Amino acid sequence: MSRPKLGQSVRRSRWSHFTAQNVPSLLALLILIATLVFYAVLFSTSLGRLPGNFELTSTTNNAMPLVFSAVGQTIVFLSRGIDLSVGGMMDISNSLAATRMGGSPGSMVLWSIIILLVGAAGGLINGLLVALGRLQPILVTLATLSIFQGVAIKVLPQPGGKVPTGYTDFLTNPGHPWALIFIGLLVLFWLAFRRTAFGVAIYAVGNDEESARANGIRVVRTRVGAYVVGGMFAAAAGLFLAATTTSGDATAGDSYTLTSIAAAFLGGTTIFGGRGSALGSIAGALVLSILISVLFFAGINQLYEDFYQGLFLVLAVALSALVGYFLRRKK
Amino acid sequence: MSGQRNGRLSSLPALRRLTPDRRRTLYAFAAAVLLFLIGALVRPGFIEPSSVKSILVVASFVGFVATGQAFVILIGGIDLSVPWVLNASAILLVTSSLGQDDRAAEAVLLCLGLGLLTGLVNGLGIVFLSVPAVVMTLGMNGIMQGLTLGLSKGFTCHACSSSSPAVVRDAITNNLLGVPADLYVWLGVVLLVTFALGFTTFGRRVYAVGNNERASYLAGVNVRLTTVVLYMLSGLFAAFTGIALVGYGGSPSLGIGDPYLFQSIAAVVIGGMSILGGRGSYLGVVAGSITLVALVSVLQAMNMPDYGRSIVYGVVVLLILLLYGREEREV
Repeated sequence: MSRPKLGQSVRRSRWSHFTAQNVPSLLALLILIATLVFYAVLFSTSLGRLPGNFELTSTTNNAMPLVFSAVGQTIVFLSRGIDLSVGGMMDISNSLAATRMGGSPGSMVLWSIIILLVGAAGGLINGLLVALGRLQPILVTLATLSIFQGVAIKVLPQPGGKVPTGYTDFLTNPGHPWALIFIGLLVLFWLAFRRTAFGVAIYAVGNDEESARANGIRVVRTRVGAYVVGGMFAAAAGLFLAATTTSGDATAGDSYTLTSIAAAFLGGTTIFGGRGSALGSIAGALVLSILISVLFFAGINQLYEDFYQGLFLVLAVALSALVGYFLRRKK
Repeated sequence: MSGQRNGRLSSLPALRRLTPDRRRTLYAFAAAVLLFLIGALVRPGFIEPSSVKSILVVASFVGFVATGQAFVILIGGIDLSVPWVLNASAILLVTSSLGQDDRAAEAVLLCLGLGLLTGLVNGLGIVFLSVPAVVMTLGMNGIMQGLTLGLSKGFTCHACSSSSPAVVRDAITNNLLGVPADLYVWLGVVLLVTFALGFTTFGRRVYAVGNNERASYLAGVNVRLTTVVLYMLSGLFAAFTGIALVGYGGSPSLGIGDPYLFQSIAAVVIGGMSILGGRGSYLGVVAGSITLVALVSVLQAMNMPDYGRSIVYGVVVLLILLLYGREEREV
């Protein structure tokens, strides 16, 4: 544990300030590139060609639900919270999409909006209980997870239902990697979002609630807002999940609670608030998804998938902590 | 002031004289009794000795896991690796004993050793690699899941079809003076842990670390050792529950540990422990475990469908938390 000394940050140049602030995100990007290279090498040695359109498309499409849920989780993390109900909200969203959505464009747009609003409403419940009820986020979202899972099973008691083909083609086109556009939009959204008053307020509240309050930030409103946005992203993740699987399952989203937390951590965002970025989490989500393909081409039994994902998560976060430690000591 | 915070109940003079910890423990037991009474109204047979005994046996499994979880929550940590440490232990018990009594002792020791080992790795990672507890134990859960699935070939191995050794089964299910042996085991654990936390230096150290890590370090507490030991205990209790569940059900299955993660955390918190550490009594955790299982049993007695049970479960947990789980107002 090194204690920061006074006046150090003032002397640092702009560039080193930037790298020091963004070590975890940059590290996540490096890990992503390394994973991609490793994947390409393994792929080409086993199949004798470079990964092409098909591989890119399927990897991207499969990663979309995790990418969106991880971004939502990140926004809640930044406000010094945690959202364990992500999986339950994805279940609701997935079940609604598979049972209610019609084939016409109007119905698809309408239901997408309704589902996003349901996500916002779920987030609102979480946020109000956390900020006004003064309950611990981990407990609130644990309870709402159970509630959301119940609602999802009510909506869709048996796995089934059908998502319109047009919807799948639009969100996660099986023929072309068009889903990359959504990742690009997400990056643009984030760059704009963190510069808005609301985005800055989330960072401020996550860093130091008292100082934020003293500086005129509406803490309660900001924290509730973080959960609302988080809930909407979880609902969007559920929509992508419904689009890739083309059918509904009221429990398909459950695993995303923990993987979204893993992706956010891998991307350098911590639950202690105010540190990190959704860009890192997007990279983290992509790494976790590509890792599955890497394991496949490395000839590793699929049953060991969780083992390597768990190991990778721990090592990456430990590495990030070590790098941060040495950077701080070097000064 | 405290009257407002804890509802009207605590304005009674007799209750106000109790410490907040004692009051919460009392509330948790009152909630359990209340649920049994509601159960009796719904179905007269609900509070017959045989029914109460079977509810308590199921509650004991939550109680065992929650004991380990309580240890780490007391120091402000959390153990998310519970589900698959439990599951791995359950499967290891039958695969190593092959259901034979003469191998049972070694198999049980092997399982408990596995629990201690995973806890040791968790603790070392948290203490020395400075990986946050959430990530370390989440990663460990994946590692154990992957290893269990991989090594048992997806639970299709030859030895996997063995069932529990008769000795283990008897030690859990046999009646002694009309009470299942498992409840004596639980009673023993409760007495031992109450003693350890309330009347030993170890217990004082645990609460000290949970209240203020730095202050307890300066006061001469070996914070690192304490942390590692507590995670080892959590692993030990998870592994022990795996053994007990196999003894109870006869054979293990994949995913038997999954419900115990959220239940153990909920039981600890309903029992009045602070998720931030340092506060709460272990007897409350016992009451919390009984309350949770009694709640599920009441809902079952009401013939409530799955989805309704899940929703009511979440709502009741929220209500209990709102009643007394709230943080003190900061400003």
